[in-house]
Amino acid sequence: MRLPEIDRGDDFTNRLLIGFISIVSGMRPPDAARVAFYHKNFFGAPMGAWTQATMRSPSTWSIGERELMAAMVAKWNSCAFCVGAHGAVAAKTMERPLVDAVLADFRSAPISRTLKGALAFLEIMTLRPIELSGEHAREALRSGVTAEALKDAIAVGTLFNIITRYADALDFAMPSAKEFDRAAGMLLKRGYAS
Amino acid sequence: MISSRSDHHSFAETLRRRVLEGPGESDPALRRRVAARSAGGPSIEAPYDDLARQIGESACRTTDTQVANVLAAAGSEKAAFELIAAAATGAGLLRWQQAIKALEETSDAPA
Repeated sequence: MRLPEIDRGDDFTNRLLIGFISIVSGMRPPDAARVAFYHKNFFGAPMGAWTQATMRSPSTWSIGERELMAAMVAKWNSCAFCVGAHGAVAAKTMERPLVDAVLADFRSAPISRTLKGALAFLEIMTLRPIELSGEHAREALRSGVTAEALKDAIAVGTLFNIITRYADALDFAMPSAKEFDRAAGMLLKRGYAS
Repeated sequence: MISSRSDHHSFAETLRRRVLEGPGESDPALRRRVAARSAGGPSIEAPYDDLARQIGESACRTTDTQVANVLAAAGSEKAAFELIAAAATGAGLLRWQQAIKALEETSDAPA
């Protein structure tokens, strides 16, 4: 269920900001942006800071690979909004058919062995977290992922296990493919800090 | 502890403290119960139990009724939002803890 206060903004500044973004972007700001501004000190600020650091700071993983991990976590959680949003950002940095191939079956997609190793770990982390063991982590490391890179992937997995849940609970509106593409350009350029 | 260029532990702890212990329109103790329930913990009072369990297990199946019941009980949209954020955070941080524990069990992990 959507909360009307998130749609319209919870104070005058947010309403102005939402209006400004609508004018500049020529589209309705996605619900993810509205939530980032809403009750910001409670949730948007700490989430935005961690998400920005995880998705845009220097890492072994490229920005596109991290966006692909986010889209995969969304797929495993059946969050159509986040699959669309983060698949679109990934597709700004790599060919769309490759993004689609990973989303269809990452094990057979033409991606690096290390990315497959990280995704296999994130799949268990997302779907069966209680089963995770040192053996799963060792399996990922055997694929060539370093411990530091796996930790960065774990942070992506954690954040998108949070984001997909509130996106679905709050019934985020589904943008069109064209709107996802336009929003992806902004997300790539401006990042996640709200 | 495995080093990373981003201080994920610090970010995770900041998020946990803000969402589960910080001030808000809902009771922080209720937020912690909601987060624990979403992470597979014991049942809590209605109507929070149903929504927290749903968000933890399969948020894509959350119904308008589950959210509306929490909104009515919580008393404001901000309070309902805080509880939804707490449930999502609880499920996410469970995965963070499990994954980091698994990683730190590896012999390859630097001290």
